[in-house]
Amino acid sequence: MSSRRSRISEEEITELISKLQSLLPETRRRGASRASAAKVLKETCNYIKSLHREVDDLSGRLSELMATMDVDSAQAEIVRSLFRS
Amino acid sequence: MAISDAEGESPAAAKEVGGERKRKRLAERSLLAKWKTEGERKSYSSKLIEALRVVRRSSCPAPRAVRVAADRALAVTARGRSRWSRAILSRRTLKLRSRARVARLKPPAAAAGPRAAERRKPPALEQKARVLGRLVPGCRKLPLATLLEEATDYIAALEMQVRAMSAVAEILSAAAGGGRSSSVAAEPM
Repeated sequence: MSSRRSRISEEEITELISKLQSLLPETRRRGASRASAAKVLKETCNYIKSLHREVDDLSGRLSELMATMDVDSAQAEIVRSLFRS
Repeated sequence: MAISDAEGESPAAAKEVGGERKRKRLAERSLLAKWKTEGERKSYSSKLIEALRVVRRSSCPAPRAVRVAADRALAVTARGRSRWSRAILSRRTLKLRSRARVARLKPPAAAAGPRAAERRKPPALEQKARVLGRLVPGCRKLPLATLLEEATDYIAALEMQVRAMSAVAEILSAAAGGGRSSSVAAEPM
């Protein structure tokens, strides 16, 4: 899937930026129409960093939980709840 | 509302000049939505299996190991459709940070001309794009459009990762709190 775009139009970039903006949590709440590209990029970076931090926290929590739990029963519990939902 | 992997089914889009691009965009939208549905469950299972394998290997699982396993499973779920997922999967197990950050100082707009006119980006934008490229795996030297696409997909995937891991943590803490562990071996670790 090689991108054979000889000229990437600014329009396309603007579209991508607005699409990205719609994913950001701040925009979802306030419903801002259009922020500048630089602002969107900055917000995106911050958002990704915060998501990384969340994942790190959750990783710590999971490793703690798994250390104290019996592995087999943990796996069974997870599989059970997967089938439930 | 079944979100199928429509690969350019709409005739209206095909009519347009940028028909191929629009088709890709439509497919992307359904791909993004997938992170909220079936993909979620699949990442669940693959990630859990990975994480539990990590536990089995070492008696004291480090959070870093869990993070690596979770990222790997996330990348697997992406099915190699995105650069960031392929980059994660091609990471060596021992990620040595021997590569010092070499600050590349390009001559500030010294090469002005027809090329510069085409992609005229203010330096602030370029700098932020660079930061973003470092955050998304495998996207350091990408053109802006591709980078934005990758970032969009990556964010959706990360959100799903957080949701899935939170749910797993809930399940495990509930199970641990319920005292269901039959073999209560008090490991002094």
